[in-house]
Formats: sequence, structure tokens, C-alpha cells
Amino acid sequence: MPPLGKGALHVLGEGRGEAPADGRERWRSLAEREGGGAHPAEFPAGAAEAPEAFSRRGFFKILGASAALAGLGACRPPRDAIHPWVRQPEKAVVPGASLHYATALAVGGYGVGLLVTSTEGRPTKVEGNPDHPSSLGAAGAFEQAALLDLYDPRRLRGFTRRGQPLSHRAVLRSLVELAASHREDGGRRLRFLVGESASPLLADLRRRIQASYPGARFHVFESLARDEVRGGHRVAFGRPMEARLRLDRAAVILSLDDDFLALGPDRLRLARELAAGREPGPEMSRLYVAEAHLSLTGSSADHRLRMRPSEVLAFGRAVAHRLAEKHGLAALAGCGLAPAARAREAAAVADDLARARGRALVTAGQRQPAAVHALVAALNAALGAAGATVEYRPAPEDPAGAAPLRDLAAAIAAGQVDTLVVTASNPVYGAPADVDLGPLLARVPDGVYLTLRPDETSARSSFVVAASHPFESWGDLRATDGTASICQPLVAPLAESLSEPELLASFLGEGDRGGHALVKASWEARRPRPDFDAEWRRWLGRGLVPGTATAGEAPAVRLGAVAAAAGAVPAARQGLEASFVADAKVLDGRFAENAWMQELPDPVTKLTWDNAALLSPATARRLGVETGRRAELRLRGRRVEAPVYVVPGHADDVVTLPLGYGRTAAGPVGTNVGFSAGALRSGDAPWFEGGLALAPVGIRKHAFAATQEHFSMEGRDIALSFDRAQWSPEKVAHLRGALPTLLDPAGDPEEPYRWGMAIDLSRCTGCSACAVACQAENNVPVVGKAQVARSREMHWLRIDRYFAGDPENPEVLSQPVACVHCERAPCEYVCPVNATVHSDEGLNEMVYNRCVGTRYCSNNCPYKVRRFNFFEYNKEKPPTEKMLMNPDVTVRHRGVMEKCSYCVQRIERVRITARLEGRPIREGEVLTACQQACPAQAIVFGNLADPRSRVSAWHGSDRRYDLLHEVGTRPRTAYLVRIRNPNPELA
Amino acid sequence: MSAESAARVERVDPLEPVPVLAGRPGDRELNDALFEPVWAKTRRGWLALFAVAVPLAGLLFLAIAYTLATGIGVWGNNVPVGWAFDIINFVWWIGIGHAGTLISAILLLFQQRWRTSINRFAEAMTLFAVIQALIFPALHTGRPWFDFWLFPYPSTLGLWPNFKSPLIWDVFAVNTYFLVSLLFWYVGLIPDLAALRDTSRSRAARVAYGIFALGWRGSARHWRHHRIAYLLLAGISTPLVLSVHSVVSFDFAVSVLPGWHTTVFPPYFVAGAIFSGFAMVLTLVIPARKVFGFESVITGKHLDNMAKVMLATGLMVSYGYLVEHFNAWYSGDHLESFLFFTTRQRGPYAPVYWLMIFCNVVVPQVFWFRRARQSTWALWVAALLVNVGMWTERFVIIVTSLHRDFLPSSWAMYYPTWVDWSIYLGTLGFFGTLFLLFLRFVPAVSASEVKELRRELEHEAQAHAAH
Repeated sequence: MPPLGKGALHVLGEGRGEAPADGRERWRSLAEREGGGAHPAEFPAGAAEAPEAFSRRGFFKILGASAALAGLGACRPPRDAIHPWVRQPEKAVVPGASLHYATALAVGGYGVGLLVTSTEGRPTKVEGNPDHPSSLGAAGAFEQAALLDLYDPRRLRGFTRRGQPLSHRAVLRSLVELAASHREDGGRRLRFLVGESASPLLADLRRRIQASYPGARFHVFESLARDEVRGGHRVAFGRPMEARLRLDRAAVILSLDDDFLALGPDRLRLARELAAGREPGPEMSRLYVAEAHLSLTGSSADHRLRMRPSEVLAFGRAVAHRLAEKHGLAALAGCGLAPAARAREAAAVADDLARARGRALVTAGQRQPAAVHALVAALNAALGAAGATVEYRPAPEDPAGAAPLRDLAAAIAAGQVDTLVVTASNPVYGAPADVDLGPLLARVPDGVYLTLRPDETSARSSFVVAASHPFESWGDLRATDGTASICQPLVAPLAESLSEPELLASFLGEGDRGGHALVKASWEARRPRPDFDAEWRRWLGRGLVPGTATAGEAPAVRLGAVAAAAGAVPAARQGLEASFVADAKVLDGRFAENAWMQELPDPVTKLTWDNAALLSPATARRLGVETGRRAELRLRGRRVEAPVYVVPGHADDVVTLPLGYGRTAAGPVGTNVGFSAGALRSGDAPWFEGGLALAPVGIRKHAFAATQEHFSMEGRDIALSFDRAQWSPEKVAHLRGALPTLLDPAGDPEEPYRWGMAIDLSRCTGCSACAVACQAENNVPVVGKAQVARSREMHWLRIDRYFAGDPENPEVLSQPVACVHCERAPCEYVCPVNATVHSDEGLNEMVYNRCVGTRYCSNNCPYKVRRFNFFEYNKEKPPTEKMLMNPDVTVRHRGVMEKCSYCVQRIERVRITARLEGRPIREGEVLTACQQACPAQAIVFGNLADPRSRVSAWHGSDRRYDLLHEVGTRPRTAYLVRIRNPNPELA
Repeated sequence: MSAESAARVERVDPLEPVPVLAGRPGDRELNDALFEPVWAKTRRGWLALFAVAVPLAGLLFLAIAYTLATGIGVWGNNVPVGWAFDIINFVWWIGIGHAGTLISAILLLFQQRWRTSINRFAEAMTLFAVIQALIFPALHTGRPWFDFWLFPYPSTLGLWPNFKSPLIWDVFAVNTYFLVSLLFWYVGLIPDLAALRDTSRSRAARVAYGIFALGWRGSARHWRHHRIAYLLLAGISTPLVLSVHSVVSFDFAVSVLPGWHTTVFPPYFVAGAIFSGFAMVLTLVIPARKVFGFESVITGKHLDNMAKVMLATGLMVSYGYLVEHFNAWYSGDHLESFLFFTTRQRGPYAPVYWLMIFCNVVVPQVFWFRRARQSTWALWVAALLVNVGMWTERFVIIVTSLHRDFLPSSWAMYYPTWVDWSIYLGTLGFFGTLFLLFLRFVPAVSASEVKELRRELEHEAQAHAAH
């Protein structure tokens, strides 16, 4: 942020250890200058470093200063130049205006390109970068919720070593000293524990560290590791590969326990590609999902094949068998095995795949063992999918000799580790139960732990280093297709902290260079050219480095090895099976402290602030438990107590245990929320394991806080779904259009803008990205478990989920519902004070200032989309969280009704621009937050007065219907019927 | 019927087997009897009841303060159930008030003599019930400090209330009702206040009653003006009996919610209001006449008549239920059918529904039997049950309709909190406090009107004898 920002804002506080502008060294005492960190500091450590940056006093100081600076903002810009997104005009900070900056965030180790909105220097909203291959302009719940982490008041500030606080300079000095102490023996007693990352810079740094310290070792730890994927590909291809799916090219898709819509760096792109193939018609794709628990992907499937995780391999082999026997794919003969069960399904799936040869695709989830991935590689090769519907690329460079966690534990136990540098995410919590890392870590003399917040691992580490948030630090990340993005910071670190590259670089004596210099130098070395600076600015502006994508491969499959691996998997133990899954909201616990994610309803169970042991109705009956009953789970002598939740469509004889809860040191938001499924998890069977025992305990019911408790539509026309064969437009013809009325027609036909929305249920997967986008855009408060349990959640946009059909294996329907902006709004006429009124353009507007809070409007709202501030939910906001607020949206106070506004602030922004340019608002110019975030492009918003707009087209679709049409509200939000494409052979 | 009572029936008017006034007491006797509770020393029973009522009233004010300080989140209301105890109690108290107005105004215009000795009682009950009712709409808003926005006043913002909203009609209806009830009660009280002033033994009492007596001297001129004012107020009150609860019912009937959107609501709400009002009068009058020895002026005749009114209005209420269910079936509206035949009868609040049916449909049927009408115990228990029943009726209408509405995704249960209960019990305490103060400081039976009644009866008797 160029000239204005720099000079003016530096008044606000001396930065961290950056060099003074005059280049002169500062020192406090002779002792310090002469190189003694040994002398006690004249002032308490950190006293000179603006320790109270965001104390109450500090905040008011900054508040005052920002007022004095004509509202230039309370944030310092990053100290190195960052560049706004290329499509924005380049300009300085303009009070009241916001800019977008491109950056990338690691999801599952890979980069997802984002655009972050910065308002007067404060990042306030995360959106997808349309140019980035993994996001395509969408942003998932995790990417968006990361912003809340940035402002978390519980973030660690500064650095402590053996309980002593250190300044920024002192920490760098200590790290250098620590590094120097390992020079002598070549780093034999130096270990690193890192997460999986596709960052070229980190790979570089690791390689260089390895070169400087030949004896040092890197260990990789991820609780949601992709080891099995790479292992399977090592079997099939002889080297670790990553598969990148191309659903847009696939006509028949078989997912073997792969929840690709919910997890992984490509989930946004895959949702887009899947949705594109769901346009009803003969070309419509078909999705089969074989899985145990009802996942997001499973709920979008045309056929969901319920099975235990351990049965997936057999099913895959049955499909291979049929393909080999019936369809002449002889290559699969070795891998196939005649089915013992589900022969009909396997045959139908195989026939369908064979018919779509070249456009068929098989994928396996990371939870499945290596043999399944090897089998899938063989299937894809035989079906002609490799290189067409799936691309294989070498997995990102493993740091040389990366070793598993178990080796590290053994080394620590043997006393071979003096310094352990941990940059992996909370390994003490996430490590398998048979590796008790906590006590071991405490035994390491210098356990350096880089973390955003104090957690279970920091409590055991002797040297805790505050991590910069990704939106505060420089870096780079590759996407799954190899495209590199430079991550640029949006704001200078809110508190003293280091980024991962800075920490690692300090072991190379470069800790003080700063992330910017590190990443820039590494790219300059990679792509030297005379005008590198200009090129660099272009990369930053665009959010990616052009020409870095790599071509997909179709490597040859070693069929013999695959067959051997498939045959070598031992039969699963009988009895109840435990299945561990990444939670849809907190993943492996890294979002457990994120209140947005905790309060986001689970896409399937609609639980908030909790996890549960998920069971099928039949299994629950057999075990004598029901929803809410607490049960003791025993596996290999380990036990946890968990509440039971019965989910229709769950496979029998499996208990699904979502990871990431039961944290013990996760602050007020995350501590003691749910139970820790990880406490049952073994390193050798991290995903599923037989031999689980479940017994009910006690009689007290567990109090779940779910946002939805009734999952039947009661025969009403709510979320409509038809099979493609049965669908005809007449089926919903009576559910749209005006009802006969004695009143005047609503709305002014002369009005140039008539805003409307349409939501395509065929595209919606229920992923909840829209709900988080709405929360971030509209300053929607988090209310906590007790309030959710009282049915007082504040989400303006909710995703209703209904079950239909067979209770053992029901169809799952997701329906996003926000205010539908009725033309004949029942809320408006009952408000005694005119606090909710209609605009000429068709918005149902809420006037917060005028609302006295009778709640009559909510009672009379058939859609129940209005939300009431029963308490002052916005009162006790920490100062940093106030910086998160979108300045264009009023923060509502106690006693006031609120609801979806169709993002009226965005309409007005665009209107101002259009007016200044003397033109009408163009189609596609106004994007609501939900529409913008939706990876499947299931939401369209625009001007119904423009017959060529997309929203007009969708409103005119023969699939369009109005929700609760018979009430006569004439909603401006229309829904498009969901069309499924089941296989007639399985009917 | 025993031979003895049969003999008595023959002696008196066959159309009025039980007299509206027992014996023919003189003016002084009546004065002594009716003013006795005011002048006598405070009774133990009164003190005991007062000691129960005042702490409960205190609880009310504590709960109100707590609500104002923290927000109505301390109640159990939530998003499908935006209204619950607040509006249930409002409608319940407003309904209770109706008997007072009916007795004092309509029965006055229809020259029903039996109203005379219970009208003061009933009017006081109306007034105090409306005070309780007014607490709720004022408190239930999210920002009660802006409640004045519901009044039409020329604001600098140039904003008026939304006259299309039934809540605005409520504001007018309930406030009018309160003012008219207050005036009616007070105007009727003036001659008795003057009599109290004249018979008071202490200077303080004389001054106090003197101020409220507004200089009443009992001159013919005064009586003339008093009668005109009283009849005029009766005339104004009469439509209110029908309008107030009709308007209250519009809060529901005008909405689109199944269970609320019902055209039968206005007459059915009025009938229910009178039903509950008479039940409350009986609940209060039966112990009071016993304690204060008013049996000679509030006779079996009064109780009998009130029981008959309850029977009639109870049948009307039952008819209302029938029509609701019939329309739900006949209209073919699946949402209404679901509400009336599934949610209410078999949903989670079904016990409340069946309690309502028992109290409001079954219990009043005992009033077909004279023995039940003549037994004060049976009457009192039945009246209490009707009070309960009418409260559950409002619960059924408001909460069960809201908790399962159009989209099953938003269905949720409502559970009252301790604050909800405190406010409800608190209004009972506050009502009791006001009523006990009324019994202690004001003649509960209108002495002037009873004297007038006695004269009328004498005239009639003389005229009868002359034949």
C-alpha cells in the first residue's frame, strides 16, 4: 500500500524488529550493545515492543489516532509492498473504499487462490480468485473462516522460552544460537516436525537446511495424512503420485469413500465441475458413492452404496471383476474378485462405467488403504480415465528422507533429540493414541513450536513461537495442477510473530531477512529475468505465477503389484467397526477454535458445537441406544465416552467418529467441545478398525444443539427432487406464478431494476460455503451453544436438509433458505412501526433503527428466516474482532430483528460506481456474498427486469418453482427442482 | 328437590327462586355491613393473603428489571416461537377483564338487577387485570424504551406507525379499554367514597376519602349528573366488550400462520374472554363473600346466574373449537389439517391441548345441573379449572401454531424459563395485591346501588301487594 499508508501509519507504533528508517542501530544499554543477552533487561522484556498493541488502552489509542488520520484505518499495512488484484484500478488507500488482494491459503497442503477484501487496511472478507485453478472464484467455509482466526483475541503474542518472554530480536538471536549449537555434529540432534505442504519456498528451505545439517531429519505429520494415497500410487506406478480429478470430463463417476466435495484443496473446483455435469438432459453425469457415513458427496450422489469402510475394497474388486469378465478389460482380471455381496450393484456400476469408457472415473478417498488406491489406478487405466478424467502428477517433493512420527517418538525416547522444531499443526493433540507425544515433547530441551494460538502442544514445548497468520505472512503455494501462487500478506502482523519460512530460515542464518525477501529471492533464482520486479508485481496482482502448471501424466500401472496388494489386505475383523472421519467443520481440530465453524451446522446432522458417534438406525436398535444417549466406546483397551446420534443412511455395524473435538487447551471456544475421537485412533489403523465395543452409560441425555430437528418434509412441496426419467415440467407448473388475487399486481413494471435470486437444487451440495460467506459479509454474530439449543442461531442463510424415501438409505436434499424477498411480504404489514418495508426494486428491507422488536414479523414469516437479537450479541467484542466487521453493514444490537438483505450494501456499491460512470448497472456486476462463494454456482442473483439476465433465465426455467407457493407471498427467490440421474438398472 | 325448599319456592317469585337481596335491610344496616371491611381492623386472613401477594408482586418487578437489563433472551422465546408467555398472559389477562365490563355496562343497560352487588367487584377486577395485561405488550418488545413509537404522534422523523398492523389497533383498543374501565369504576365509586368520608372516624381517612369523593354532597343535581355520566360510560363501554377482544384476536387472525389465520377468531375470542372473566369473578367472589360476610348481598342468585353465563359462553367457545377443526378439514388446506389434526392432538404439546378441551369443553357442562350451580365448592373448582383452561387455550393457539409452522426445518420447541414463570406468577401477585388493597380501602359492594336496589324491590313488593 503505497505512499500514503507508509508514512502516516508508522506513527501508530514502532513495528517489530525492523530496521529504523535512518539505518542506525538502537540499543538500550551498553551491556545489550556489547552483545549480552545475558544481562537482565532494563525494562521487562517486550516493554518497548508495544506489548499492549490490542489491549483496551491500546485500542483506544489507535482508535483516536485513526480518527485523527481521517479514518485511515487501525491497521498497519505490511511492511513490504503488496499489490492489489489486477482487475482493480491501482490506487492508494481511499477511506471508505475497499481493495481486493490476491493471495493463497493452504488447504490440505495445497494452495487455494483467494481474493481478500481489505477495507482501509483491514482484511474483512475472503473470496475466491477467479483465475486460480483450485478456487475458480469460489471460497469454501474453511478459507473464509480463516479470517476469523486472524483476529482471534486468543492468538499467541510474542515468544517465550522456558517461560521467559523474548523480544523479536531476542528470539531471532536465540534461534541463531540454537542453530549454531547444532553445526558441530551436523545436526544429528536436530529434528523438524513439519506438516504436508506444497510450498516451493518451504521445500527449498528444507533442502537447504538438510544440506547445512546433514544429520538433521525432517518428520512429516498430518492427522489427515494422504499417506495411503501416495502408498497406493507407489504400488501402482512405482512412485508417489497425486490424482487430480476432472469431473467436467466424466460421465460416470464412482467414488470409493471419497468425500471430494467436502475435503481437500480441489473441493471447490470439483463442486463446480460436478455441478456443470448435472444439467438435466441426456448428457447428465451419474455419481455413485460407496461409503459408510453420510458425507456431503454421498448426499449428492445418484446412488449411495452403504457399506462399511472395510468393504469398499471388496466392492472395488467386484467392479474390476465384472469389468474383466463382462467387458473384456482383461488387465483387471488379476485385481478383480467375484463378489460375495452387492453383486447386483457392482455389476450395474461396472456396466455403467464400461459404457462410459473414456468418460468414466473412479476415485478413492484418503481414508482407504493403499490397496484401494492401487486398484483405482488400475481401474482408471483400464477404463481409459487416466489422462482424460483423471490426471496424475508426482506428489510434491518430500523433504529428503521425511520420516514418520513414530521414528521421532523413538528418537526422543532414546534421548537423541536436543532441538525439535515443530511447525506441524498441534501434533500432541492430533497424534495417534499409541504415540504419546506430549510427555516426550516435554523431554526435549528445546522444543520449538510455531503456533497461532496456545494449544495442547505449546503447553509441552519449552520454546513457543507465535506464528504469523497466513494473511500476515509471505509465502508461496502450489495448486494441485502445479500452478504456483505467491501468498502476500494483507496486514502487518497484529502481534509479534514469525512465519514458517522465517522460522526455518533462521536455521540458515537468514531469520532477519523477512518472508518477503525469502520468497522473492527464491523465485528470482527460479525464474531470473531482467525485469523481475515488474514481473513479480504482476504475479502478486494476479495471484498466480503464469506458466507454472504442469501437465498431467498417465503413468503405466504395474498390474501385478496391484493385484498382489489387493489380495494381501487381510479380511476385516467382524463386529462393530470404528471409522474416523475429518469433521466437516473443524477438520482435524485446527478449526476447533473458530467460532464460525463451531456454530456452522454440520451439513448432514445439523449439529453445532459438538460431534457425536454416528450410527445407523438398525445398529442403534441392535445396540439399544438412541440419539442423545451417551455411550462408552472401547477399542484396543482405549476408551472414550461419546453421545450417540442416529443418522438415516448410515451403514450398519459402523460407528463414525468425527475427529477434531474434545480439545483440552483450545480457549473458551474450543475447549471441551465434543469428544476426542482421536483418543481411539491407532497409528497403524488411522481411519477404520474393527473390534469396537459400544455400551450405553448413564440415563441422562446429552444436550445437542442442532439447528434443525425435523428432517421430514411432511409431504409438503418444499425441496423438490425428481428422477430424470420421471421428470416433466408439468409436475411443478402449479407451484409458480401469481395466485388469483383481488389486490393490485405487486411491483412497478416500469422499475429498471427488480432484484431477484434463483437457487438450483441440482447444483447445491449443501457444503455451507454460502452460510459462512453470509456470516462474514453481514457481520452476523456467533451466539454459542446454549443459544443455538434455544433455537436462536443468527445465520441469515441456513441450509435446510431433508430426508426422503427409504429410512435405511434415504435421499438427502439440501436447500439453502434465506429471506426470499416476497413481493407480498407477510412480515411487512404486521410491523407496527414500519421497520420492515418494501423497496421499489423489490427488496424487503429491514430498518434496524426503527425496529422495536415485537417479533410479529418473524411469527408471520412462513419461511422463518428472520433472526432476532435476543441479547446484546455484539457487546463484548474484543478489539481485534471489531476490525473484522464489514463497515458497509450495520452491527445490530439487542432487541432488533434482522435477516438477509440480498446484500443491499453490494447493490449500493455497484450503483454508486454505475452512477459515477453514467451507465446502468450491468448484468453480473452485483454478486451477493452467498452467490460469490458458492463453488457449484448454484445461486444466481440479478435483475429480473432485464430479460437477458441469468436470473431471468433461471426464473423462466421449466424447473423453477416457488417455495410455499400456496401462501401467495410471491417470493423473489425461486428454486430450481433437483434432478437426479439414477441408473435404471438399480431402480 | 326437598319439600322444604319446594315450599320456599312457592312463597317467592317463581321466576326468581333465589332472591338477589336476602331480606330487606335498612340503609344503616347496609352501610354498616358493606363498609365494615373498610372500617374494621385488618383481618388475619387478609394479612396472610397480602403476605403472599406482595412478595409475588416483588418477584414480578425483579423479573421485569432483569429482563430490561439483559434482554428478552432470558425468556424462553425463540425463532419459530416469537411469542409465548408474554402474549399468552396478555390475552389471558385482557380476557379476564371482560367480565367486569360486561357486568357493569351491558347488564346495566339491560337492567339486570343481579349485577348490582357484584359490579364493583367485577369492575375492580377488570381494571387490575388490564393493568397486568398492559405489562406484557410493553415489556415483550426487544427495545421497550422505544415502545412509544407505537403511538401516533407527530415525530420529527415524519414517521407514523403502520396503521395496517393489528398491533397498532391493539394499542388503541387496550388503552381505550383501560381508560374507560378506570373512569367507569371511579365514577361508580364516588357516592360510596363520599359516604366513607362522612362515616370516617379519623381525620386522615376523612381527608383522603374526601379528596377522592370530589366534593360529592348527594344533591339531586349531583345524582342527575352522576346518572348521566354513568349511563354514558356504560354506553361507551358496551362496544368495548366486543371490540377489545376482537382486536386482540386480529393479532392472530390477520396473520398467515395456520392456527392463527382463522375468521372465527373475533366472536370466539369475545366469548372466551367473557367465559374466563366470569370464571375469575367467581374465583374471587366466592371466598370474598364468605370472608367479608356479603352472603346477603351476593346471593346464590348471583352465583347461579354467573354459572349460566359461563355455561353459555363455554358452549360458544366449544363451538369455536369445532368450527376451527371443521374449517381445517373442509378447506382441504393440508397445513391447517396438519396443525389441527396432528400437531395439536398428537404433537409434543398434546397434553396442553387435551387439558384445554377438558377445562373449557367438559367442565362447564356441569353447570347444566342446578346442584352444581348452587354448590359454592363445585362452582369455585369449576371456575378455577376454566381459568386454567383459558390460559391453556392461549398457549395452544400461540405456541403450538408457531412451533410447527410451514417449513419443518425451522420447527423447534418452546420451554419457559424461570423468568417467564416469575413474570406470570408475579402478575398474579400484583393483581392479588391490588385486589386486596381494593377490598381493604374501598367498599367492594356498591352501597349506593344496593340501597337503590332495595328501594326498587320494596316498590315492586308494594305494587304487588296493592294488586
